[in-house]
Amino acid sequence: MLSRLVLLSASSLKGSGPIGAGVVQATRCLRTSSQSLAPVPPLPEEGGKVRHGIFPEEFFQLLYPKTGVTGPYMLGTGLLCYLLSKEIYIVNHETIYALTIGGIIVYCVKKFGPGFAEFADKIYEEQLAKAEAAKESSISILAKSIEAEKKEQWRVEGRGLLFDAKRNNVAMLLETNMRERLHMVTNEVKRRLDYQIALQNLHRRMQQEHMINWVEKSVVSSITPQQEKESIAKCIADLKALAKTSQAQAAA
Amino acid sequence: MTVSLFDQFESPLFLGIPLMAIALVLPWALLPKPCSRWISGRYLTLQNWFISRFTHQIFQPISHPGYKWALLFTSLMLFLITVNMLGLLPYTYTPTTQLSVNMGFAVPLWLATVIIGMRNQPSLSLAHLLPEGTPTPLIPVLIIIETISLFIRPLALGVRLTANLTAGHLLLQLISLAAFVLLPIMTATAFLTWSLLVLLTLLEIAVAMIQAYVFVLLLSLYLQENV
Repeated sequence: MLSRLVLLSASSLKGSGPIGAGVVQATRCLRTSSQSLAPVPPLPEEGGKVRHGIFPEEFFQLLYPKTGVTGPYMLGTGLLCYLLSKEIYIVNHETIYALTIGGIIVYCVKKFGPGFAEFADKIYEEQLAKAEAAKESSISILAKSIEAEKKEQWRVEGRGLLFDAKRNNVAMLLETNMRERLHMVTNEVKRRLDYQIALQNLHRRMQQEHMINWVEKSVVSSITPQQEKESIAKCIADLKALAKTSQAQAAA
Repeated sequence: MTVSLFDQFESPLFLGIPLMAIALVLPWALLPKPCSRWISGRYLTLQNWFISRFTHQIFQPISHPGYKWALLFTSLMLFLITVNMLGLLPYTYTPTTQLSVNMGFAVPLWLATVIIGMRNQPSLSLAHLLPEGTPTPLIPVLIIIETISLFIRPLALGVRLTANLTAGHLLLQLISLAAFVLLPIMTATAFLTWSLLVLLTLLEIAVAMIQAYVFVLLLSLYLQENV
């Protein structure tokens, strides 16, 4: 609070005149807080401990070695008695008013203090939850995008296999096509050759038939009627002889 | 014992140095500054909550061009409420018991609203001088009356705050003086007087907050008419 006044005046003192820089250097040993801004120093979670609402605990700890536990209270009582007896502080109507308003303030703080503290803590929790939610959501988004990236990388690895398979496929198609065409060519060639063979066979058969016909015709035409009669008579004589021999064989 | 009950309202001097500056600067020194962290402590959280609620409340009925006044009104409210509440502590000085301070707040702000109204929408501002539905014979008289009420506004603003706080402080001093004087003489009566003092103190706490709020509320109303 009042330290802000000090800070402002200190910053104006630094820049002003010859004394400013010297003061900055000379007071370096008196500075207690860390002089760098990063990382941001953590704020204390609880306020300073106080006794009876106003007096800091450090004061009691300061007096404890010399005066024990009752030291500060004796100091307070003595101070009050001194002020009253020397009439430095005069008891007048303002004292009654001071006691009244002091009582009202203490009563209000004791009664409504925890309520206010809870309310402030609730607001604090809400703000913290919002900040946490923002942090969590951005963390989860980043994690999801990391996973998606990894999946894409895995897909890229598999791309080689995919291309190989496709290449094989295409090669097989080409092979099949080529074999089909070879087949076709073979069939066509065979058909042509078969035709030629059939043609040749036909030729030979016709030649044979023609020759047989010619031979038969010439033989038939060369047979005279005399020869025909002679051959027939010979045949009958042969047959008779055969009949006799067979009869003889059958009887034997 | 004070010479007169009005000595508490004298501008404090110390070795000839007027301490009015310290009295006026005290709220700025005592109230916490918004910190650069994401989340602040309890005191600052409550102050931020109060400031945002108050600004929402005051500026809800005002149209968008009037939102420039948000910083002014909120800081004025914080100042007045802090100064009034600090003045309730014993042996303290309240600057807002001085008419000069309150008129110094009231007149420039009221005048600013009037000038803005007259400059940006003169016919609408002048139309405010005649309420709707007045019978025709009454129009001249009513315009004069409305003009007078327009010019009385800053006076009323300043004097209202001054009078309320001065009267309250005076009463507190008076009744505590009565209780103090009666204490050795008639203790029971003193106790009754003291109970009256307690009630009055509670009232004064309420009045301190309410008067600050009323001051700023009326200014926001004047702004609403003219912006």
